[in-house]
Amino acid sequence: MPSSNLVGNRERQFVVVIGFSLTLYLTDITWEVRANSRHFHKHRRRRSFLCFRWGRYADNVVRSFKYSPLTFLPLTLYEQFQRAANLYFLLMVVMQCVPAISSIPWYTTTIPLVIVLSVRGLKDLANDLVRSLTHPPITRLSPSLSSLTNWRGFTNVNSLFFLSIPTPFSLCLPFYLSPSFLLLFAPHPTPSLPLSLPLSGIVLCEEPNSRLYTFRGELHWRGERHPLDSEHILLRGTVLRNTDTAFGMAIYTGSDSKILRNVGQLRVKRTQIEKVLNKVVIGVMLFLLLMALLLAVGSGVFQGRVSSQIEVLSALTRGNSPIYTAFLTYWSYVILLSPAMPMSLYITFEMIHVLHSLFIGWDVEMRGGVERSIPAQARNTSLNEELGQVGHLLSDKTGTLTQNRLLFRQCCIAGNVYGKDELPSLCPTSASPQTLDLSWNPFSCGGLYLSDQRLVDKLRGQQCTQSRQFLTTLALCHTVMTEWRNGEGAPVYQAASPDEEALVGAARELGWVFLSRTRDSLTVSELGVKRHYQLLTLLDFTSQRRRMSVLGKTDGGLKLYCKGADIVILERLQKDCPHLESTERALDLFAQSCLRTLCIAERTVSEAKWEEWSKTMAQAAMTTRNHDDMLEQLHDDMERDLKLLGVTAIEDRLQDGVPETISLLRQAGLKVWVLTGDKKETAVNIGYACRLLDPDTRLLEGDELRQLLQSPDPEITFSKGKGTELWCVDRERAGEKSALVLTGPELVNIHYRSKDLENLLIQEPEWGARFMSLAGLCQSVLCCRVTPGQKADVVTLVRKNTASITMAIGDGANDVNMIKTAHIGVGLAGVEGGQAVQNADYALAKFSFLQRLLLVHGRWSYRRIAVFLRYFLYKTCSFALVHIWFGFFNGFSAQSLYENWFIILYTVFYTAMPVECLGIFEQDVSAECSLSWPELYKVGQRQELFNTWLLAATLLHALYTSLVLFFMPLGVFYNSALDYQTMAVTVSIASLFSATIEIILLTRHWTKWSVAAMCVSFGLFFKSPVDYYFPGVSQNAFPSPVVWFTALLTAWTAVLPSFTIRTLNIILTNPDRHRHGPVELQKSGFRRGDSHRRSSYAMSQGRGIGRLITSGASRRITFPPVDRRGTLGDNVTLAGQTQSDDAPKNITENGSSK
Amino acid sequence: MKEELETANRPDNTAFTQQRLPAWQPMLSAGIVIPGFVLIGLAFIGIGVALFIASQNITVLEKDYTGVEITSDCYKCSNPSDKNCTCKLDFSLSNLFEGPVFFYYGLSNYFQSQRSYGVSKDDYQLSGDLDYFKTPISACSPYQYDANQNPIVPCGSLANSMFNDTFKLYQIVNGTKKLVPFDGKGIAWWTDYNIKYRNPSVTPLKNAFNGTVKPPFWSKPAYELDTSDPSNNGFVNQDFLVWMRRAALPDFRKLYRRITEGDYASGLPAGNYSLEIGYNYPVLSFGGRKKVVFSNVSWMGGKNQFLGIAYLVVGSLCVVMSTVMLIVYAKFKFPEDD
Repeated sequence: MPSSNLVGNRERQFVVVIGFSLTLYLTDITWEVRANSRHFHKHRRRRSFLCFRWGRYADNVVRSFKYSPLTFLPLTLYEQFQRAANLYFLLMVVMQCVPAISSIPWYTTTIPLVIVLSVRGLKDLANDLVRSLTHPPITRLSPSLSSLTNWRGFTNVNSLFFLSIPTPFSLCLPFYLSPSFLLLFAPHPTPSLPLSLPLSGIVLCEEPNSRLYTFRGELHWRGERHPLDSEHILLRGTVLRNTDTAFGMAIYTGSDSKILRNVGQLRVKRTQIEKVLNKVVIGVMLFLLLMALLLAVGSGVFQGRVSSQIEVLSALTRGNSPIYTAFLTYWSYVILLSPAMPMSLYITFEMIHVLHSLFIGWDVEMRGGVERSIPAQARNTSLNEELGQVGHLLSDKTGTLTQNRLLFRQCCIAGNVYGKDELPSLCPTSASPQTLDLSWNPFSCGGLYLSDQRLVDKLRGQQCTQSRQFLTTLALCHTVMTEWRNGEGAPVYQAASPDEEALVGAARELGWVFLSRTRDSLTVSELGVKRHYQLLTLLDFTSQRRRMSVLGKTDGGLKLYCKGADIVILERLQKDCPHLESTERALDLFAQSCLRTLCIAERTVSEAKWEEWSKTMAQAAMTTRNHDDMLEQLHDDMERDLKLLGVTAIEDRLQDGVPETISLLRQAGLKVWVLTGDKKETAVNIGYACRLLDPDTRLLEGDELRQLLQSPDPEITFSKGKGTELWCVDRERAGEKSALVLTGPELVNIHYRSKDLENLLIQEPEWGARFMSLAGLCQSVLCCRVTPGQKADVVTLVRKNTASITMAIGDGANDVNMIKTAHIGVGLAGVEGGQAVQNADYALAKFSFLQRLLLVHGRWSYRRIAVFLRYFLYKTCSFALVHIWFGFFNGFSAQSLYENWFIILYTVFYTAMPVECLGIFEQDVSAECSLSWPELYKVGQRQELFNTWLLAATLLHALYTSLVLFFMPLGVFYNSALDYQTMAVTVSIASLFSATIEIILLTRHWTKWSVAAMCVSFGLFFKSPVDYYFPGVSQNAFPSPVVWFTALLTAWTAVLPSFTIRTLNIILTNPDRHRHGPVELQKSGFRRGDSHRRSSYAMSQGRGIGRLITSGASRRITFPPVDRRGTLGDNVTLAGQTQSDDAPKNITENGSSK
Repeated sequence: MKEELETANRPDNTAFTQQRLPAWQPMLSAGIVIPGFVLIGLAFIGIGVALFIASQNITVLEKDYTGVEITSDCYKCSNPSDKNCTCKLDFSLSNLFEGPVFFYYGLSNYFQSQRSYGVSKDDYQLSGDLDYFKTPISACSPYQYDANQNPIVPCGSLANSMFNDTFKLYQIVNGTKKLVPFDGKGIAWWTDYNIKYRNPSVTPLKNAFNGTVKPPFWSKPAYELDTSDPSNNGFVNQDFLVWMRRAALPDFRKLYRRITEGDYASGLPAGNYSLEIGYNYPVLSFGGRKKVVFSNVSWMGGKNQFLGIAYLVVGSLCVVMSTVMLIVYAKFKFPEDD
């Protein structure tokens, strides 16, 4: 079977799943893996029962679910009773079963508790089932050295290999496997390293860890020891190309694999509101316990002082001492007051959460994908209200903001701009105005987004040498690999940078087809004429140089082809370079359109100069001192006196609606941060394109940022610095007009020996606080070149240092950690596989749906839940606290003032439905208004509707209400012939009235359901047999006008404060401020007229792969290129400085899916 | 498969799922809320005035007969050891006490609302279940069984402590005592003597009580509470029922009799009256007070000054507050320069 797969399947991509790491600290090499020794591993396989684990090697089942049939019940109970409230209720149930203290019957708490526990448990189970279904366990496999021909069953399984790939060509290797490794396996002279060879060897390495970019270990093989480092390992998710066979050995499997160590723990997210609520619940409970204590003391005193005199009462004490009576009374009061914190609060809370989540899923305006088939999905149903409070949005870039499609849009050659001058954001998504007739080009295979017949005419007309040179440069100056696939007329380009792919692709369309490369030559077909260029040298791209050059030799002599960022190229031009002015104008034009520009230049080099230069170069290679400086000087020497050919403009296509969404979110007060593995220029460019940065935004980066951070008070220095530089006077505005650009490693490597900035910021609280206070002043922060772990660290940093709610949005596996760390994680359900979505709390089809999710659903949810919780606490506390006051008139005997069933039904039926309707339907403003008034969102960020103070006020109001509820009827009933049951009914009606009036005051959106709920609730009270235990009360008490007048007066007096405050609110604010409808929707296009150019060479890696091309590691004509996903090895060589943004994206994607 | 599911799960584009239900959003403005506040305040004042007037029209005559003061005739009976003491309370009416006159007894500092006191009864027994005559529920303890382990019927502290003072009202007409007839029918809730409490269906009733003893405080067994009316005995005795209906607060009154018959149907004429009290119920030990109350009633029940005054206060408060709000509104809306 495997062999049949092999044949003719060379394009198969192998996906290996990945772990990384790089630590400067040595760790013990204690992890032992033996090749082909099942016996060795079998006995050490990790097993688990319930929560006990033993054994060393995890099997390969990756679990993202936590329950099994056996563990469900204990686990779910354990989890649920971690909630203070549930424990409290359990205690209530137990106590109510004790006859001596049971002041109200047992079923008042038991029934609701059972309901709550089962509802919650079932919900958790359902969530878990969904997870386990989407994550089926994969084949079990123990670490062994295996041939990877049957990769299909293998890749998902083993998380980490180190491997050799003997190809049919024997030398063809993924270039990111380092030479040391090649020595080990690859140079085997035999073209077919026997697949069946029972290799044996022992790998000793680090214990499983989460460090993605480091690895330390050694291989003991045939009596030799070979050191292993991160270049030898493949992590889960890596794609291998150009080979069918690879040998490897699983080192870490299953949950030990680095990526799984890196995805963070599954943890229960709690919303801020829930935390505040929990605090308040605990506060209320403590208050109740204290009250119960005081009342119990009262009862002891009463028994000692009063009831001992009364024969009828003293006889009832049955000889108990006052202290014992007080003890019993204490518990009785604890039970009696417990309805102040009813279970139904939690049931209803849960229910409303679920409904809100359903609303999100139902919203047709948040459906994406083909024919709107992908609905938004709330995977975590308990975070909805937090959507209305998000203060920091941390976004991934690639795949989230951008489509990761780079389009060659425009170019400027010899001062002439080619390509339509249209704003990219206004183009329809698939705008491919392929009006050009390229049928003359046999290599054309579409995908040119620059349509300008003039250019084609010029190129084919042979008149314009400059445009021909321009395209020659595009076709030569790059590090792209070609791959010829069977039956295809054109080569497939594999580039480390999507920019290069776009450029070379565009050159191919226009007739300059890059055909193949060897170590020292390039073959290009120029308008059908095949030409060989001798590749003399390749001066590669680095982030300092920001340019790359190729020195090529043809019959016509030596030429240096160069491309790079405009600043770098423009300063290296020869004097009196033609078209400079018009080219600069073009650069500005492109920059306004948010296109990424690269300057293209060439230089004719004399043979003599080359020889001299190469000699110096060879000498330089020998020296070890100042090696880098010398190289730099040499490069500089070569790359000068350039002749400007033109400028390319590439569009990094944004997702639909991203700029609008981001500007809306910024208006809503959100700080949008971009965290990307890409390099700085790319990120900044995208920042401008998606209106995260304004054209006049000042970027704080590098040294400046470091200085600010080093100053004792960055805020002061920040504003001072601005004052001196006079670019902005007003501090507020200054802050809004600047952004931090942070490159993970850069800042730290220079000054601090710490591994990365995030570690520094996180480990040093002071630094973190400084950074955050600085970031708080700025409009945005861009973090470039961050690893998945660092992304999460940044989230942690924000969480630690601000009170605001963080939301992380991403689309790939590299965002999983961040998504899990943030308060709310959003996954984009897109092409990148399900990893992000699996771990996210919300799944959206498009980034732009965020505006609806946050501004509409989130805002509503926040409002609804805040109002709901406040009201619920009010109604239950006001209702239950009455018993405290009644205690003074019944000898502190824990006599209830309500009929037993009323206590249960009050919260469940009589007052539940209106507040449920409020929690479900309430809208203070419509969805449209929410979107056109993003400022309204700030209410949630400032926690204006639900905070400790507001809750305290609510509770005070409840206390006041309970006083009124008791003492108003007391005045009426005192010294009257009306009995206890009539009074109980009066107080019941009064509390019902006050709760209803309060909800009427709160409801601002009356649907038919709200009205119906109100009527039904009232009907239930008056039409049902009210007097379960009070027979005859309804016949006797209801006809009495005193009861009604008392209830009405009591209720009105109870709500008078809140009514007054609301009225004052209405008087003091203009109520119809937000109802004029949208004033202006910010849909203006790009601001023109800025002169800030943005030029970049958008390699996604820190350093080009030129070193490998020219290193002589391989002399094969065709290099196996890598997909962006497979470039991890390269990253690793850069000592953790850079990471591919997308490296470990596909954890579960099947290896040979293509 | 999954797609199919999703399509199947796709809800209709209804107003509910899209949260676009038609709704009424009250647009509250100062122009509505301030007049509303005033109106509510005025309504409350109106109700308050009505209640107050109704309450004012009720005549109440309240007399303490605990016998704390030596001047009181009942002082002689205040010694608890003195059994079957009778005292009298004289009073005179200068005007007609309009009828129907309700006659109450009142107790103060008496905690009928105590929980253990309130539950110290056997509802099954009181509804006539003979099984519970033999074995009353334990909640009745210590009035469950007597010293000889005979079940007490009716058991419990509540029944045991039944008020047992007796009253007879005489009008002194030309020096002779003329008995004012009391109407003791229907003073309890109808539901109490028809639904809640019932005698066992044993005739004669006395037989049902065989093998049981009367509560220790009682002077006569339950089946002999009213010798004049056989149907007013056992658990449906009106006085018993009135007592069993607990008061909510330590100061309470309970209806004893109504004066609706004969010459007194229209009320108590002006004149001198003498109330003859069979003083049995001890309250002085715990500082309690006993009193009798004559009162007539209006549409709103007995006299209740508090309610009317409270309505007036709250109503006025609303009006005052709305005035304040109006001022605040004016200041806010039209700043000084206006």
